[in-house]
Amino acid sequence: MKTKSIVIGILVIIILIGLNSSVFIVQEKDQVVITQFGRPVGKAIVKPGMYFKLPFLQVANYFERRYMEWNGDPNQVPTKDKKFIFVDTYARWQITDPLQFFKRLTNERGAQSRIDDILDGETRDFIANNDIEEAVRTSNRIPESSDTEIVGDSLAKIFVGRDKIQQMILESANKQTADLGIKILDFRFKRINYVQEVQDQVYERMKSERFRIADKFRSEGQGEASRINGEKERELKNIQSLAFRDAEMIKGKADATAASIYAKAYDQSSQSRSLYGFLKSMETFEKTFDGKTSIFISTDSELYKYLKKMD
Amino acid sequence: MKIANLNLPPSLGKILEYWKLIVTLLLLVIILWASIFQISTEEVGVITRFGKYVRQVEPGLNFKIPFAEDVYKVPVERQQKQEFGFRTVRAGINTEYSESSSAKDESLMLTGDLNLAEVQWVVQYRIDDAYKNLFKVRNPQSTLRIISEAAMRQIVGDRTVNEVLTVGRTEIGSKLQELIQQICREYSMGIKIDQVVLQDVNPPEPVKAAFNAVNEAQQEKETLINRAKSEYNKVIPKARGQAEETIQQAEGYATERINNADGEAARFTALYNEFVKAPEVTKRRIYLETMSKVIPEIGNVIITDQKGNNVLPLLQMQMNKKTENNEN
Repeated sequence: MKTKSIVIGILVIIILIGLNSSVFIVQEKDQVVITQFGRPVGKAIVKPGMYFKLPFLQVANYFERRYMEWNGDPNQVPTKDKKFIFVDTYARWQITDPLQFFKRLTNERGAQSRIDDILDGETRDFIANNDIEEAVRTSNRIPESSDTEIVGDSLAKIFVGRDKIQQMILESANKQTADLGIKILDFRFKRINYVQEVQDQVYERMKSERFRIADKFRSEGQGEASRINGEKERELKNIQSLAFRDAEMIKGKADATAASIYAKAYDQSSQSRSLYGFLKSMETFEKTFDGKTSIFISTDSELYKYLKKMD
Repeated sequence: MKIANLNLPPSLGKILEYWKLIVTLLLLVIILWASIFQISTEEVGVITRFGKYVRQVEPGLNFKIPFAEDVYKVPVERQQKQEFGFRTVRAGINTEYSESSSAKDESLMLTGDLNLAEVQWVVQYRIDDAYKNLFKVRNPQSTLRIISEAAMRQIVGDRTVNEVLTVGRTEIGSKLQELIQQICREYSMGIKIDQVVLQDVNPPEPVKAAFNAVNEAQQEKETLINRAKSEYNKVIPKARGQAEETIQQAEGYATERINNADGEAARFTALYNEFVKAPEVTKRRIYLETMSKVIPEIGNVIITDQKGNNVLPLLQMQMNKKTENNEN
């Protein structure tokens, strides 16, 4: 009785341990390859859930099913136009065939190191085959700027472009990873920068460029001011001369009208003409004689002829 | 029961008597503890059964099958943010920022015309798909950081330094948001970008002065132009007024001249009409009238008999004397 219960107890414990060793859970983020004495058995498990395996003999090897990160080693690379730049890259990758992955790369660290080799090499090749602009720029878009012409900033024409280079590196890398059971989902340049020594030269170039632009602004301002000043002078002369012309014309017309009015009145007949002459003389007398004037009048004159004799 | 025979206080003995009940109750509490869980307002709960996704639960009190199901709490309502080029040291009314050298590396980038600019920005985002966020990408947060940096450099790399620093700011923000969102979708990150805010966008320290010089020159240009314009505005309207004055004066002269002519002509015509009726008398009358008006005004009137030649010297003397008196 007592030994029986002990045996049952031991059996239960063994079954529990065996069950624990044979049941395994695959999470959503995981995929599993079952190996028996190191040799893969059956297909890889890629769906989450509870699974069974032979206890003790078989081992469940877990792999990531999610996209994983890969960060490139920031590298100093010469471009085709002999400019040294730092290129920092990154990629996302995924284990697409766990069985193959397990065979070729064993684990994630192995994979990272293989990807290092492939992508760093491809990056180096493509950067070295292109000018720096091709890696920096994506498209030949026209810069929109209110004063582009003044500033003179322009974008050089590119033929390949950042997107295309990234795409080509990705394609080329995926060809090499095809039998590794992994797929590189995306490859991008994270940072591209000048190396320190070049950076100072770039700053100098930027400075001289800006000073050139500043000079241009200043001279433009002076030019524009002179233009406005000239316009002012012209406008001024125009206004003044027009006013003078109009005034003279008005006056002349008035003079003419007045002359014709006078002529009409005075030139009616010979009598009117002589009357006009007579009246004008009288008027002149009135105007010109004053206290300083001395005249002597003969008694023969009309005025004083009666002084001599009454007739 | 054997245990009951032990010499124990009666109260403890009583508890031990009901040990089955107590164990059952304890088990129940443990099971309940393992099956009830709470989800806060800003979260959702993602539930997996034996590792497999089964359902998603809303905030509040929730139940699961104990030991078989697991809960992942994901803060889907919380707006999170990542800072680039600077770090908030202590948020508050006067938020403190720091710019470490690693943050500087984040912000320094090449523009399309191969100049350098320092761009600082903030990405605000939410997790909008808890399942994808948990099970599709490893380390989605750090992935988002890298995506943001790469995307920003791609966009800035396609613009001139002038655009980046001035006119292009808002456009860069919206383009960046679009691009990050697109890459997040490609990666199945389950992240929604709410907003991308560009903070300080500056030229690098060593060239700042040169960029300021451009701004100053631009200001100077405006000043020069404005000054010329104000001079123009000061002179031209005044000249227009003066021109108007000149013309008005001419008009005045014209009116006066014509009116005078009209008046004089009318006067003459009237006189002439009468004159024609009796020319001789009228003429004489006018003559004599004029003379009687004129002669009293004249200083010396000498009336002579003959031609008056012999009186001239005498007259001369008289006149000289008069002028001498006047001078004294």
